[in-house]
Amino acid sequence: MTNPSAATATNVSKIYGHGDSEVRALDNVSVQFETGKFTAIMGPSGSGKSTLMHCMAGLDEMTEGSVTIAEIDIASLKDKELTKLRRDKIGFVFQSFNLVPTLTADENIRLPLLLGNNKGNEEWIQKVINTVHLQDRLTHRPSELSGGQQQRVAVARALASEPAIIFADEPTGNLDSTTGNEILSFMRKAVDELGQTIVMVTHDPVSASYADRIVFLKDGKIAGELLQPTPELVLDYMKKLGH
Amino acid sequence: MLRIALKGILGRKARLVLTSLAVILGTSFLSGTAVFSATLNRTFDNLFSDVFRNVDSYVRSTQVIEADFGAEERQRIPAELIATIEAVPGVADVQGDIQAFARIIGKDGKPLGSEGAGPPTFGGVGQEFKGALWTISEGRFAAGPTEVALDEASAKAGKYNIGDTVKVVAQAGSRDFTLVGIASYGDVRSPGGATFALFDLATAQEFLAKPGFVDAILISGDGSVSDEELAQVISSAIPGSYKTETLTGAQITKETQDQIGTALSFFSILLSTFSYIALGVGSFVIYNVFSISAAQRQRENALLRAIGASKKQVTRALMIESVVVGLFGSTIGLFAGIGLSKGLSALLKAASIDLPSGDLVVPSSAIVNTIVVGLIVTVASAWLPARRAGRVPPLAAMRETAIEVVALGRRRTLFGLFLIALGAAAIIAVTSGASNKWLGLGILFVFSGTITLGPVIARPVALILGKPAQSLRGVTGTMARQNSARNPKRTSRTASPVLIGVALVTAVAALAASISSQIDGVFTKQFKGDFAISTNARGFGGLSPSLADDINTLPEVERATGIGLLTVKIDGKGQYLTTINPATVEGVYDIGLISGSYSDLTPETIFVSQKYAENNDAKLGDTIAVTLADAQVKTLSIAGIYEFDDIAGKYTVSRDLTKDTTVITFDLGIYIKIKSGVSETAARTALQVAVDKYGQGTLLSKREYIDSQSGQINQLLGLIYGLLFLSVIIAVVGIIITLLLSVFERQREIGLLRAVGMTKSQVRTTVRWESVITSLLGAVVGIVLGVGLGWVIVYALRDQGLSSFSAPVGTTVSILIMAFIIGVLAAVYPAWRATRVNLLSAITTA
Repeated sequence: MTNPSAATATNVSKIYGHGDSEVRALDNVSVQFETGKFTAIMGPSGSGKSTLMHCMAGLDEMTEGSVTIAEIDIASLKDKELTKLRRDKIGFVFQSFNLVPTLTADENIRLPLLLGNNKGNEEWIQKVINTVHLQDRLTHRPSELSGGQQQRVAVARALASEPAIIFADEPTGNLDSTTGNEILSFMRKAVDELGQTIVMVTHDPVSASYADRIVFLKDGKIAGELLQPTPELVLDYMKKLGH
Repeated sequence: MLRIALKGILGRKARLVLTSLAVILGTSFLSGTAVFSATLNRTFDNLFSDVFRNVDSYVRSTQVIEADFGAEERQRIPAELIATIEAVPGVADVQGDIQAFARIIGKDGKPLGSEGAGPPTFGGVGQEFKGALWTISEGRFAAGPTEVALDEASAKAGKYNIGDTVKVVAQAGSRDFTLVGIASYGDVRSPGGATFALFDLATAQEFLAKPGFVDAILISGDGSVSDEELAQVISSAIPGSYKTETLTGAQITKETQDQIGTALSFFSILLSTFSYIALGVGSFVIYNVFSISAAQRQRENALLRAIGASKKQVTRALMIESVVVGLFGSTIGLFAGIGLSKGLSALLKAASIDLPSGDLVVPSSAIVNTIVVGLIVTVASAWLPARRAGRVPPLAAMRETAIEVVALGRRRTLFGLFLIALGAAAIIAVTSGASNKWLGLGILFVFSGTITLGPVIARPVALILGKPAQSLRGVTGTMARQNSARNPKRTSRTASPVLIGVALVTAVAALAASISSQIDGVFTKQFKGDFAISTNARGFGGLSPSLADDINTLPEVERATGIGLLTVKIDGKGQYLTTINPATVEGVYDIGLISGSYSDLTPETIFVSQKYAENNDAKLGDTIAVTLADAQVKTLSIAGIYEFDDIAGKYTVSRDLTKDTTVITFDLGIYIKIKSGVSETAARTALQVAVDKYGQGTLLSKREYIDSQSGQINQLLGLIYGLLFLSVIIAVVGIIITLLLSVFERQREIGLLRAVGMTKSQVRTTVRWESVITSLLGAVVGIVLGVGLGWVIVYALRDQGLSSFSAPVGTTVSILIMAFIIGVLAAVYPAWRATRVNLLSAITTA
């Protein structure tokens, strides 16, 4: 049985410039991300993988096509509604500069809830905090946390509001491999144990192998898919695609 | 390196504009006040060189009394000298001149000209004379005791036409005249806004001054000899016993211009003081902007260092930028100041100081001064940040973000505390007897110490002030609070201009509140009546003494008494005597008589204050020699000693002292007690009729009178607030610039917040509250400092009769509200900019 779709892109194009200088960062991309699954988006630099994520997460405007998140068509939303959608339905983990330096770890984790003046589900939040092992770091500020701890706070923040989908953009890009693997395990756990939906952009085959499914992008187009990947399978597939 | 520096400047025009803005504002006031003062001086110079344009010689008395505030009173000379001078060869025409107080009452019954500190209202002589300044533009000059001519502006303001009846109030009371002529003054309709009622000589003598006397004699020569020779001939023709001097037209013109210049220099000094305060405030903003922009360019500078630029070169690049900004900003400031000088006229007008308007004069000294001072202040403010920029390690180029180093050394704390301790020591020394000179130094040290400590106290105070924001606004409030505390140096530098402005306003307000409450107390103590008639024409004219006499005849009135001032010479020094009417003063106006009785006060006696008696070892029966303005010497014996000297001063005499002299006295206030059983409304109606007959003075109830007396200080207060307003504007611009740079610096953070769901309105809230907290920080510390400063000044003035300190509660509350509003307004643009931060460029790794 196929799970319902947490996020769907239909014929999405993103075009920069006009005429001769026109660049198609995304060219008629259609893709679905299933609820309760961990999906990775892979592709070489300039393949459009980050652009796809930005467009689907409502961070960037697409030129053509439509995107639905939790059955809401985001193209029709005004800035305020879009902001609320990001706050309530989407979780984010970025590569770096994930946290607000003036807030404590706890405040950073609850940030989307606090912004929405929403108490949230305390039981759930505690569970998330326990899952990423941050119980004794909650009162610290980002500058007092290691890079790995900062990313764990970011993951916890993404989970805190029980979003419909979490977008992670190279979440381990700035970390050493041990710490990176730890973060990926947490994300895996969030999907398996907490039933979350995660979409992760990465260029690293090892990171991608934590996912249930990999979507390959090349030159702004979907170039293929891989289910139940291992690092070796990913490398083979990438060679086949020619990078 | 010069090219890199210049390219850097042009590459970031927005930064250039922001930095220059502070310089522009600071220097514009400097040039504005210089242009304003020069224009004013030139206007008056022109006016007075016109006055004596056709006068070749000028004869006047040598007997003069100089009193406080540069006022002088010159004796009159006998009119018979006119005939003596007419007989001198070389003399073509002679005119006796009288310049005295006269107020024209308009058709609507209201006196023309302001009763406050506006241009004077004159009465004088207008007749055919070769050297005359007045030329008839309609009708003819007045002839005989019932005719008057008016200056054109007054005739227009009073809506008078030839043939109308005009009421004029002067020394001899109020009288109706027939308007026979309208005159113009040289080329203008009215000299500098003053009003003129012109009579023939005999009428002027009798109505305005004293029959048989004139103030001066104007002579027009026939051109056969030079002005110098003519003056010499006239001088030798007048017997020495008359005690006169003969000046040439050029001399009297020069003297008048110098006198006006001295009077105007008060304005110039006041204005330039405030312009330097504004510039000082501006220098904080300039320093802050350079610091922040140097910090934000840390990576760029580090890169320059990494590829081989020396420390010196990096520093020099910033210094070059400061020179460009200084020149650019000062030049624009110069022109902005010229526009501002027009605004200053408006400001003074609002404070009822109406000045004649003339063509703008832009002295070259103002141009040089503005540019040089602006340049020096800018370069000096940039020096520290530039040196700091040079010291940036090349490795900083590789760092992720460039944040200003926020190290708060213990040395700073110690140095700040040391300065405050020094200042406090100086102030304590003054309170225990040292000279008031130390006070200024003490205040300066306390100010410098507080500003040095600024970064240390900024964080804790900002966190406390931010508490309400946090509970009110949740996480946005928390972020605003933390943002205002995250860089204490920057926050304190931003708040310092607010601090200085607020401290000065608070101190002035404290001083004013203390003076007000003092005056209130004094009048409450001394004034025992029910009504008072007040006039603001201090020093020149006042209420006719016959008004008090008239009021005393009213059936509703128990008793009315007038109080006036007389300028005399005692021991060769100008002094003010208080004049009272001993027959009516008792029970209405209390001077706290300790010994003697009012009936002892005759034209041969004088009362002195208790303080005077103690200081001079004077007792009843001792004599004091008083020289009146007409050079008569009166030897008065002390017949009484009184306690209340706040208003009366050292000496009080009977108003009859001047009865047989050429000296004119006015009442400055009339105090009235009504009969018991007469209703206040009935009394007021009756009194108003009497006052209206004279067309002068304002009838007030006791409470109204006391409020108006203690409120007089508010006029000055308004002027000072107005002048401090520019400092406030600079402070606001400082907040705006800092917020803009902070927003720019926190682009990524704002982008992140927007990505995870912060709405635009929440972004604005965060910036707004940070601004409010910063503004309040400056206000709160400024109020503390200002109240302290006010207390110290009041203490220093205790010898001038200021006995108790009153805290300016109302002003303090208004300042806090204002600071809040200023914070909100300053944040409008930066907050809007913050919502325009590009989300993607903020979150994608550079």
